[in-house]
Amino acid sequence: MRLKLQDLTRQFGKKTAVDAVSVDIPSGQMVGVIGRSGAGKSTLLRMINRLADPTAGSIHFGDVEVSGLRGSALRHWRRDCAMIFQQFNLVPRLDVMTNVLLGRLDHRSTLSSLLNLFTREERLMAIAALERLGIEQTALQAAGTLSGGQQQRVAIARALMQRPKMLLADEPIASLDPLNAKIVMDSLRDINRNEGITVLTNLHTLDTARSYCERIIGMSQGRVVFDGTPDELTSDAIHSIYGVEHASQFDETMTSTAISTSGATEMSADPHPAGNLSLAPA
Amino acid sequence: MSLQSKADTASTVAIVDAWEKLAARRRFYTILGLAILFAAFVASVRFADDSNAGHFFDRLPHLFDFLSWLIPKDWNDVWRALLGIASPNDQGGEEHNFTVGRVPLWGGFYIPNYIELMIVTINIALISTLVGFVVAVPLSFFAARNLAPSNPLRILVKRLMEFLRAFPEIVIAGLFSAVLSIGPAAAIIAITLHTIGAVGKLFFEVIENIDMKPDEGMTAVGGNWLERVRFGSLPQVLPNFTSYALLRLEINVRASTIIGAVGGGGIGEALKLSISRGFGAKTMALVLLLFVTIVVVDQVSAALRRRLVGEAAFVPVH
Repeated sequence: MRLKLQDLTRQFGKKTAVDAVSVDIPSGQMVGVIGRSGAGKSTLLRMINRLADPTAGSIHFGDVEVSGLRGSALRHWRRDCAMIFQQFNLVPRLDVMTNVLLGRLDHRSTLSSLLNLFTREERLMAIAALERLGIEQTALQAAGTLSGGQQQRVAIARALMQRPKMLLADEPIASLDPLNAKIVMDSLRDINRNEGITVLTNLHTLDTARSYCERIIGMSQGRVVFDGTPDELTSDAIHSIYGVEHASQFDETMTSTAISTSGATEMSADPHPAGNLSLAPA
Repeated sequence: MSLQSKADTASTVAIVDAWEKLAARRRFYTILGLAILFAAFVASVRFADDSNAGHFFDRLPHLFDFLSWLIPKDWNDVWRALLGIASPNDQGGEEHNFTVGRVPLWGGFYIPNYIELMIVTINIALISTLVGFVVAVPLSFFAARNLAPSNPLRILVKRLMEFLRAFPEIVIAGLFSAVLSIGPAAAIIAITLHTIGAVGKLFFEVIENIDMKPDEGMTAVGGNWLERVRFGSLPQVLPNFTSYALLRLEINVRASTIIGAVGGGGIGEALKLSISRGFGAKTMALVLLLFVTIVVVDQVSAALRRRLVGEAAFVPVH
């Protein structure tokens, strides 16, 4: 189903975080949103699953007007539109299995959830999700004791349990090391291809966006200033997104967190494909 | 470029001078404040002494006279009173009737009167803390700014908690003993109500300090308010809640003793009677029993709380 944002605007006091964004995303695309800190990327994503409410404009998913949903309809939409976060947002004191099972919350009765009564079928489903992400051996550990990369994979497993129709990812690899970043991005691509669901992800590294996304949306000061394929992302476009004086000042490899692979480099404009392990600034 | 070469430039010197001036001014205000505080303290003690017709310091040495009234004539009577054993000093009065109020178990075994009264007092504290905890937990989620489902409800619950803890237990107990007559029921209601108000405030402050990321995660999977509270917040706050409840239990053991003295039943009542009639052995036995009990309750609860806090110390590194 098609996601359609129409003049979507969000103001915080006098500041306009997202300014009349209109975007049309057909089903099954993998879309990266790039831009400087404070460009409105996070607010845009958080409005789509209504963690933030729009000040103006509308969001449609298929025939449903998402921006007008309330109560249980809103909770159903959040279930259908899974989100993963930069800081994972797991429950650190609960074990991994329970954290993954919590993805089922809106599929079941509140009472049985509150009593932690999950069915055998749901447990098998959770194990399958953990196996798919290669972390089934952590199932009984408290989520807070895992490494960042493992936690993000638990968060993806939880998102899979929601059986979403769409997946949002807000800076999913910003707190991860290069190897874990690759595992997480590969999982998102895998979900996009196998489940055929739309994946919309904020990224702070250009080369990751180029390698994984078929479409890139560039934002600056709340507005969409670029919308196209990675090939169309020229140095002029980069200038308009990041506002640097000369494109030569801006070296993609400086911000890269990627471990270059054959799959990643074929689309990448990275001039130094081998062994680029520099860490992103926080 | 070394730091040394920069240190003697004019602007650096100016900054250091300004900082020293600022520090000197701060020090001056601190000393001035302390001097004013000391003068006010001396003046107020003088005033209090004068209001007492100047007898405070004269009468101070007689403080220990009071304790001398409570010295038992026979120290062995302290143990006898504590354990409910008949005393050879018993001449039929109430001073040495230690066997009265035994609770027979089987054969020759019995619970001595004072031990039973102590158990009553501890039970009053336990049930009040438990009921208070069970009521305060849901109320505190309505009162916490970050999780309250509605703002008017939040303000209402906060005011209710303030009202409940505004009155000391002993005042509420007096009110309820007028209605329910003298006995533990009034004490339980009084301590429970005060506990709800007191721990409820601590609880909602704990909730207002939680990490909201798990809660956001629960919202994002489509959880409703109850599910967010159950999974996003409760695992974070429960160790602190339990710790505060144990602390409250310590306080409530003392409160239920005091309420006993105004008719709430339990050991407080016996202590008040014994002191007012000058029964030295009985008073000593009761004070000893109370002291040991309170030390044990405090130590056990402190050990449990340390364990809980130790567990809570495990938090993810951000």
